[in-house]
Amino acid sequence: MSILLSVLVFFPVLGVLAILLADRGKGESDNLIRWIALVTSLITLVISVIVLASYNPAVSGLQLVDRVPWIPAWGIQYFLGIDGLSILMVLLTAFISVIAIAASWSAIDKQVKAYYTFMLLMEVGMMGVFLAQDLFLFYIFWEFTLIPMYFLIGIWGGTERVYASIKFFLYTMAGSLLMLLAILYMGITNGTFSVPDLIAGRAAFADAQHILFLGFAIAFAIKVPVFPFHSWLPDAHTQAPTAGSIILAGVLLKMGTYGFVRFNLPLFPQASFDYAPAIAVLAIIGIIYGAIVSFPQKDVKKLVAYSSISHLGFVMLGIFSLNTAGIQGGILQGVNHGLSTGALFFLVGVIYEQRHTRLMSEFGGLWKAIPLFSVLSLIVVLSSMGLPGLNGFVGEFTILLGSMGAESLGTHPWIYTAFAASGVILAAVYLLWMFQNVFMGPLDNPKNEALRDVNRRELVIFLAFLVFIVWIGIAPSGYFNLMDSSVSRLVNDISATVMVGQ
Amino acid sequence: MNAYGLAPLLLLFPAVGVLFNGLFGRRFVEADAKVGERWSGWFASLMAISSFVVAVLLFFTLQTNEFHPVVVPIMDWISIPAADFYVPWAIRVDTLSVTMMLVVTGVGSLIHIYAIGYMHGDPNFSRFFTYFSLFIFFMLILVSGSTYLVLFVGWEGVGLCSFLLISFWFDRKNAAGKAMNADAGRKAFIVNRVGDFGMVLAMFLMAWTFRSLEFDTVFETAVEMFKTNHIVQFGLFSAPISVVITAITALFLLGATGKSAQIPLYVWLPDAMAGPTPVSALIHAATMVTSGIYLIVRSNVLFEIARESGPVIFGVISTPDLVALIGASTGLLAGLIAFTQFDIKKVLAYSTVSQLGFMIAAAGMGAYVAAMFHLVAHAFFKALLFLGSGSVIHGMEHGHHHLLHDHSHAEDHEAVFDPQDMRTMGGLRHRMPVTFWTYLIGALALSGIPPLAGFWSKDEILAHANEHAQVVYVVLALAAVCTAFYMGRQLHLTFFGAPRHAAAEHAQESSRLMTVPLIALAALAAVGGLLNLPFLTTRMAEANHHHPAGVFVGLESWLEHSIAAFELTEAGTIHLPHTPIVLSPVVAGISTLLALVALGGAFYIYRNKPETAADPDPLQRIKPLWWFRILPLETFYMKFVVPPFKWLADWLAFAVDWNFWHDFVHNNIIRDMFVSFATFLADVFDKFGVDGTVNGIGSLTKGLAGAIRRTQTGFARTYALGVFLGAVALLVYFLWVLY
Repeated sequence: MSILLSVLVFFPVLGVLAILLADRGKGESDNLIRWIALVTSLITLVISVIVLASYNPAVSGLQLVDRVPWIPAWGIQYFLGIDGLSILMVLLTAFISVIAIAASWSAIDKQVKAYYTFMLLMEVGMMGVFLAQDLFLFYIFWEFTLIPMYFLIGIWGGTERVYASIKFFLYTMAGSLLMLLAILYMGITNGTFSVPDLIAGRAAFADAQHILFLGFAIAFAIKVPVFPFHSWLPDAHTQAPTAGSIILAGVLLKMGTYGFVRFNLPLFPQASFDYAPAIAVLAIIGIIYGAIVSFPQKDVKKLVAYSSISHLGFVMLGIFSLNTAGIQGGILQGVNHGLSTGALFFLVGVIYEQRHTRLMSEFGGLWKAIPLFSVLSLIVVLSSMGLPGLNGFVGEFTILLGSMGAESLGTHPWIYTAFAASGVILAAVYLLWMFQNVFMGPLDNPKNEALRDVNRRELVIFLAFLVFIVWIGIAPSGYFNLMDSSVSRLVNDISATVMVGQ
Repeated sequence: MNAYGLAPLLLLFPAVGVLFNGLFGRRFVEADAKVGERWSGWFASLMAISSFVVAVLLFFTLQTNEFHPVVVPIMDWISIPAADFYVPWAIRVDTLSVTMMLVVTGVGSLIHIYAIGYMHGDPNFSRFFTYFSLFIFFMLILVSGSTYLVLFVGWEGVGLCSFLLISFWFDRKNAAGKAMNADAGRKAFIVNRVGDFGMVLAMFLMAWTFRSLEFDTVFETAVEMFKTNHIVQFGLFSAPISVVITAITALFLLGATGKSAQIPLYVWLPDAMAGPTPVSALIHAATMVTSGIYLIVRSNVLFEIARESGPVIFGVISTPDLVALIGASTGLLAGLIAFTQFDIKKVLAYSTVSQLGFMIAAAGMGAYVAAMFHLVAHAFFKALLFLGSGSVIHGMEHGHHHLLHDHSHAEDHEAVFDPQDMRTMGGLRHRMPVTFWTYLIGALALSGIPPLAGFWSKDEILAHANEHAQVVYVVLALAAVCTAFYMGRQLHLTFFGAPRHAAAEHAQESSRLMTVPLIALAALAAVGGLLNLPFLTTRMAEANHHHPAGVFVGLESWLEHSIAAFELTEAGTIHLPHTPIVLSPVVAGISTLLALVALGGAFYIYRNKPETAADPDPLQRIKPLWWFRILPLETFYMKFVVPPFKWLADWLAFAVDWNFWHDFVHNNIIRDMFVSFATFLADVFDKFGVDGTVNGIGSLTKGLAGAIRRTQTGFARTYALGVFLGAVALLVYFLWVLY
């Protein structure tokens, strides 16, 4: 029993209280509020590192468990725990939250108090999602994350923000309702909502597992988003303020992939195995479709948004390879996507702040005007392209390695791999196109000559991204080590069950 | 002597070079252009030279340690215990990798020094050398990695550097207003990625088949599996080992056609000439483009197994034969295209494609040593020719510059002057003697005139083809004739005859920084044949492959330690098809004669044509020949691949994804129908008196929505309510049915 995880989840609430106390109205205390939010998120990051230090990668089950009865009559518990499936997500959340807050520093100047309150509440929700081990609690956190994001997009977003925020809210909520039904069904049949208990007692709902799988899968697929459930994403990503996009890409989408790994796979192993080919096909369509659709976009941010569909397709393919390489690659690629796409959104935000446009045709030759910014952007673009030596490659390679030998994908898994690997070519096509149009060519728009190069705050944020982009690229073993035993346990569990089932 | 432990320094030096120039170079150059350039350029050169010294030490280490290959580990890279997958960062020191290291750092150092002169005055001088060091870094990773995955890091890394250096002058536009340098760089990267697609798939196959990507393990396991006719099984997939290895090698071939510019992916290399000339010399002639040959030679065991497996590809051909065929046809096709080029560098570019075809063909025939020999010799003379062409371009620019300042010539000066157009040159041998004489040596070496390097190396390939593959021999012999002809044409257009433009009249010899590397490379191109004289190898063969340790006799016996013979059947040994080549006087005589005839023919045809820069080329009258200027694959891709892709992307992005899926399906169908449905429900509920609840939820939403409310009155509320009610209804229904 440890309250460490509870502290981690709810610490940002203290920040919210501090912000409310510090506010003297009329925007006088805006800077103070920014600092409170930043310090709060930094302390949360430190707490997450303490969690990492207390975490034992050799143990495959839940650790640092905090578990008390909540509504005993319905078998609902307040139950937090961490394992190899979630540790990286927790660290990513803490990291991205700091980045998002720092990235908003000069971009947000209206309703600062409300903004940072929502940012911190967002962090609470996200942490809760990754740590909750009781389905009911999970569902509360899951839905809770919608609210701050709804306001972040709806109030501080672009011109189409209202449409985008409502669409985001309803689309994801509609998906989760089916999940709620599935949760209630399992909870009622088993008399508990605790995930480990449900996994142990999954025989009780084994007959309904295919329909239950779909109930969860649709909620998660919308979040990821898996093709064709992606229609909300270009709106939300493009309209959200920079920090909102960073959080969306960095963490919120990973809630979907995490959901598959945490719930669908262990709760419904046979259904996971049976549906794997179908999901893998959707994932591959997503990889190729997302990449092709990214290419002709005129708005840089929209291009990056669509590229997420492609990248998340890789993650899904890895997860539904249902072997250790695939799942570990999938989880790590989730982190990688958070880093590189988060950084891409950040760099778009930095230019947008100065030029108030994101149309590619407005740019060109930026390397001449702002060389340092351009070099940093290039590295981020290369990371997103999966250049070996940077993080994206390690993830994609491991995923495709997994898919190549995936028993879940039938007798010719290499066909899936071959199609997915073509995404590597397409990524170069749209990312280099974007890079050339923005940074290369002659500097012929006079408005761009006045651009300033990165300032110190932006440089620090960039470097924070780059440290991990390079670290994961050249020495990812530590990251794999964190999840190795949990993932093997999950995979063994699935294959044992599926064997028996056959 | 034992310097194996120094191997990591090989990579460290260029890495330091990257950091130095990347972090401080710009500041140095901006503070004081002259001193700054010297620091920036010489520091990078020094780092390349240091790596060369390390490579030399490794060379002697191998000599004194009986050519014993050693893997020097650096650190873990990817290790996933649960998936039994492990790839370290490690350097492999063996005769093959050290050969490549010596070429890369040796020729690389000379080109570095040349570039100090060539890039003088460029505002991004230090950026250039940052990229150059980065290139050396990745190229050394490519040739020294001990696993396919590390090789691939270098493979993609040099692709990146190629992209950066081709588009180094990224703000330049051509007459049509396109950013051609940036376009060319991007094209190179994307085309190479097509090849990389093959590389990654090959690695996945290897990882599952051999459970390793480490060279030794892969080769040993492959041989064992082939002997026992193993059925490869991963996941639910199974196939005989011969099929799997054929697939792996075929995918390697795809990778090699990308990197080494072969049919069908050679189209990026001619465009790559948009980059600064030292880049063309280092990356697009001497080193990077030979990676494909290195890959095949490195994987010789797999290719030999594929050869042994027979015609597995569609039942008609085996991978090595396909390799040889592709190499030979590329050799000839590119040789023909080279006839029709006016740009001095484009001729060399197609020539490089053609010579790479020779090497690929040699590797495909199993003449691995011959391929490597030609690779090394080609690195000498093609780097020399590119640097020479750079010197010519510089001289022409100088002459043109001179004109601009000389008002008496102002009237005959056209708006756009292309210093690379050979039609504007002529007679430069008088103006640029050092460049001329060194260029001459390079051109003759390339044409295969004895006793220069190219003669020996090309002849070894031809002799081998003559013995083992007559078709390949004929095609390559024709390609060799083309080589001599287009080099004769180029020599004449550039250096002989009378100047056809005032710029050529005023051209100036380049600085010593540029001419000294030319002289060094010319010396290497002249005597490079000594590396593998057939007399020596014959003697080796007679002495039953015995050679005294510690003495470098020739590439044949040196590379034997990396390209060893091995047993493929339980019954006995199958040697590599390549036996040491005995000098064949007939083959050598024929090719020398043909080369001389072609050279002479070119000089005869161009003896006084074209007379002015505007005159047509004498060959232009031979229409079928001139078609090669437009016919080849480039046109095909630009017509039938790129536009359909763009159309498809536009259609998917705007028509399908946006108009149909986003607007029509989501907004018109789902939303509007839902709103009607929800409104209907709300009306019904109103009648039953739950008005209060509805309003309660409504005002809650109102309060939360705040700023949003004004623009979308009631919409979200109705929508949310509808969803909520629908869910409750479903829930009730489910619980009703289940219990």
